[in-house]
Amino acid sequence: MGPHDSSISAAAGSTSSSSSACSTSTKPPQPPDQMDHLLAGAGYKVRSNDLHQVAERLQRLETVMVKSSPVEISELVNDAVHYNPTDLASWVDSLLTELNTNPPLSVPVPTDLSDPNAFPANINMYANHAPQVHGEFSQQVVAPFEEDVSIQLVHVLMTCAEAVQRGDLSLAGLLIDDLQALLGRVNSGCGIGKVGSFFVDALSRRIVNSPENAVHADLSAYENEILYHHYYEACPYLKFAHFTANQAILEAFDGQDCVHVIDFNLMQGLQWPALIQALALRPGGPPLLRLTGIGPPSPDGRDSLREIGLKLAELARSVNVRFAFRGVAASRLDDVKPWMLQVSPKEAIAVNSIMQLHRLLGPNSSRGPPIDLVLDWIRDLNPRILMVVEQESNHNQPEFLDRFTEALYYYSTMFDSLDVCTAQPEKALAELYIQREICNVVCCEGPVRVERHEPLVRWRDRLINAGFAPLHLGSNAFKQARMLLTLFSAEGYSVEENEGCLTLGWHSRPLIAASAWQAIPKPSTTIGPINHP
Amino acid sequence: MAGSDQINLSESKRVVPLNTWILMSNFKLAYNLLRRPDGTFNRHLAEFLDRKVPANVNPVDGVFSFDIVIDRTINLLSRIYRPAAKETEGGAPLSTSIAQLEKPVSTSDVVPVIIFFHGGSFAHSSANSAIYDILCRRLVGLCNAVVVSVNYRRAPENPYPSAYDDGWTALEWVNSRPWLQSKDSKVHIFLAGDSSGGNIVHQVALRAVKSEIQVLGNILLNPMFGGKTRTESEKRLDSRYFVTIQDRDWYWKAFLPEGEDRDHPACNPFGPKGASLEGIKFPKSLVVVAGLDLIQDWQLAYADGLKRAGHEVKLLYLEKATIGFYLLPNNDHFHTVMDEIHNFVTPIPDCE
Repeated sequence: MGPHDSSISAAAGSTSSSSSACSTSTKPPQPPDQMDHLLAGAGYKVRSNDLHQVAERLQRLETVMVKSSPVEISELVNDAVHYNPTDLASWVDSLLTELNTNPPLSVPVPTDLSDPNAFPANINMYANHAPQVHGEFSQQVVAPFEEDVSIQLVHVLMTCAEAVQRGDLSLAGLLIDDLQALLGRVNSGCGIGKVGSFFVDALSRRIVNSPENAVHADLSAYENEILYHHYYEACPYLKFAHFTANQAILEAFDGQDCVHVIDFNLMQGLQWPALIQALALRPGGPPLLRLTGIGPPSPDGRDSLREIGLKLAELARSVNVRFAFRGVAASRLDDVKPWMLQVSPKEAIAVNSIMQLHRLLGPNSSRGPPIDLVLDWIRDLNPRILMVVEQESNHNQPEFLDRFTEALYYYSTMFDSLDVCTAQPEKALAELYIQREICNVVCCEGPVRVERHEPLVRWRDRLINAGFAPLHLGSNAFKQARMLLTLFSAEGYSVEENEGCLTLGWHSRPLIAASAWQAIPKPSTTIGPINHP
Repeated sequence: MAGSDQINLSESKRVVPLNTWILMSNFKLAYNLLRRPDGTFNRHLAEFLDRKVPANVNPVDGVFSFDIVIDRTINLLSRIYRPAAKETEGGAPLSTSIAQLEKPVSTSDVVPVIIFFHGGSFAHSSANSAIYDILCRRLVGLCNAVVVSVNYRRAPENPYPSAYDDGWTALEWVNSRPWLQSKDSKVHIFLAGDSSGGNIVHQVALRAVKSEIQVLGNILLNPMFGGKTRTESEKRLDSRYFVTIQDRDWYWKAFLPEGEDRDHPACNPFGPKGASLEGIKFPKSLVVVAGLDLIQDWQLAYADGLKRAGHEVKLLYLEKATIGFYLLPNNDHFHTVMDEIHNFVTPIPDCE
C-alpha cells in the first residue's frame, strides 16, 4: 500500500467502491512487517498481512461478548489489566483470553536470534517499526502566552539565542538589554514572565562565561537536597515517577523471595518507604529486600547514603521486612563497577533510574560512550526490570538554537503547571530547582552539560539496540496514576498511555515519560528460542 | 440472536474496507466495555484506550498545530491547526513556525477559521485523539483554513449543557482573536463537527444568532440527533452497522438532564419541544447523512426542518456509507464529502 492520496482523482485508486469493500485481495503481497498505514495514523499498529486475522478475532470477541453475562463483562473491565492498545491484535487476544475462550491463533513471529530486531513472541515487537507519522519527535507547545508583550518576549529570546549560536555575542548582549526591558513590562510573577526571566538569565550567563567553563555556584549537597525536596512536594512529577516505578517493580518481584533494588540516585530515598510498605503487605509475606543506593560522595565527611539507609532500615524493621542496605558513592554512573553492587545470582534485580540516564549522553570517555558502558553492565546484571523515567523533551540536539527553543516550551509548560501550586516556600524553591536545570541546558557545553534530556522515542531505540525489551505498563498503573493526580487539586495534569509507557504532562503536553524494560540475555553459543516465563 | 449477530458481522464487513471495519469494530467493542448499565462511565479505561497524538509545531505535510488553554477556569483546551508558511525566512522551518504561532492569518486574503467539534456521542474522544487530529489536519489543507478543535467537556461527568457552553466559549474566543482576522479585520467563522460534534454545531450556531457573532456556515457530519419515538431507520438498521439503538439511548441518557427524555430540544431540535427557527438569521448548513446510519431519519428530519424554516441547506445523502466513513481516506464517500466541504467553505469571489 503506497502513501495515501487524499485528492479526488485518487478515486480510481482507492481500495473500495461504494458497494463493495474488500479489495485487499487484489493488492500485491506486502513485506511481512508492513503496517496498515491508515490504521497506524489512527494509532493502531496492525500488519497489512494480518488484517483478515485481526478482523476474524474481533468477530470472535464480539460473539463471545454477546454471549457473556453482564457480570463477566464487568469483571473483564474491572479486574483485567489492559496493555498497549496500539497493538490491537494483542489487545483483542487478551480480552478473548480473559473471557476464557479457545486460545487465539498465533501470528507467526520471527524468532531468528541473529536478527537484532527479533524478539520472543510475547514481547511487543512493534517498537522498532513505528511509522513516523509526526516525525521523530513532535515539538509540542501548549501556548501559555497570548498578550503581545509575551509574544515579543519570545521573539526577542529566539533572536538572542540565534545570535549566540552564530557567535555574535555583541548583538546578543544588546538583545539581553531589550529582554530586561521587556521583562519589566510583563507580569514576571507567573507564566512566560517567570520562565522568561530564567531564560534571559541563562542566556546572559552564557554570553559572559564560556560554556565549557560554566561555573554554577555549586550548591552544597544539603542545599541541593532542599531544592529537590521542595520540587518533590510542589508538583507531582517525581511522585508520579516513584509511584509508577514502584508499581512496576512490585509486579516484577511477584513470587520472588530475594529481591534487590539498585537505585541510581538515592537522594533522600523518598521512593522507597512506599515500596517497603507494599512489600510488607504482599500476600504470602514480604521478600528479603536489599537496596543499593548510588549517590555522589559527601564532601563534608557525612556518609549521607548510609544515613538514608539507616532510616529506611528502621522503617523496614517496623513493618517486619527483612532489609539490607548498601551505599555506593560515585560521582558518575559510569564510574560504578558492577562488582560494587554485589549482586547474587539468587536475587531478582530491579534497576531504578529516575532522571539519571540522560546524564550519560555527554562526550565519550576513554572507554567509549558512557551510556553504552552503563547499559551494558546493567544488561549483564540480568535485571527482571529496568525502570526508566526521563524528561520528555529533546534538550540534547546538536544545534544550540534547537535546544533553546525546545527548552523554552518545555519549561514554560512546567512552570505553567507550577502556577497552580500555592504553597510557599515549596513553590519558590521548586522553581529554583527547575532554574538550575534550565541553566545547565542553556549555559553549559561539553561534560559539564549533564541535563541532556531525550524523548521517549529515542530512549526506546537506544534501549532496544542495547538489548532490552519493553515491559508494558498497563491500565492498572494508568488508573492509579490518574487517581494519584486527583490528590492534586489542579485539574490540568494528564496521564497518557503511549505504547506500553506512561507519560505525565500538563494539559496535553507530556513532560515526564516512564517506561519499563527487561534485559534480553546475551546470546550464548547455543541458538534456540528463548522462553520467558 | 447469535445467528443474526453473525449475519450482522458479515454484512457490515461487506460494505466497508477491511481496515475501516477493524477500526469501527474495535471502537464498538471497546465502547461496550466502557458504558456501565447503571449509567456511569469507565473514564480511566476510556482514557487508557484512546489513542492520542501530540500537537506539533513542526509542519507535517504543510500543517502545524499547537494547543491553547482558552478558558483557565475549566481548563478548556483547543488545538489550533494552521497551514505552514510557504517561504522560510532564511532560518530553519522550525523558527518560522514559532514566530508564526499567533501571526495574523492574513492581511491580503480571506482565510476561513473552522471551529471543529469532535464526535464521540458526547462521552468519547478528545481534541487530541488520533482520528480527529488527522481529520482536522486534512481540513486545513482542503480549505486553506485555520482549524480550531475544541476539547469540550464530556458526559456523563459533564452533561448538558457543558458541551454547548464550551462550544460557545470557543466561538467567542475565536471571534475575538486579532490574529485570526482576515483582510477585512473580521474572523471568518465556520462551525463543523461529526456525531455529537454536529449536534454541538447546531446549538452553538443557534446561540450565535442572538449575538453579534456571525457564523458563515455549519458543517454537520453524521450529526447526532434523536427523539422519543423509534423511527423506521432505527428499527431497520439496529445493530447492523456498528451502532445499536441501545447504545444511542445510553449516550442520550448520559448527556441529557436528569428526568428528561429524548424529545428534549438538545436531542430533537425540531420535535414537539423544539423552538421555531423561522425568521432568524441562521447560517447555511451542509448536512451529511450516511445511508447505513440508524439515526438517519432524525438527521433527514433536521435538514428538512431547517429547509421548512427557510434556511439554506445542502443535504448530502450517501446511500452506502456507514458511520465513521470520513475517518479513513479509503472510500469514495470520503472524497465526495471532502469535495463538498471545500466548496462550502471556500469563498466564491465576486459573489458576496
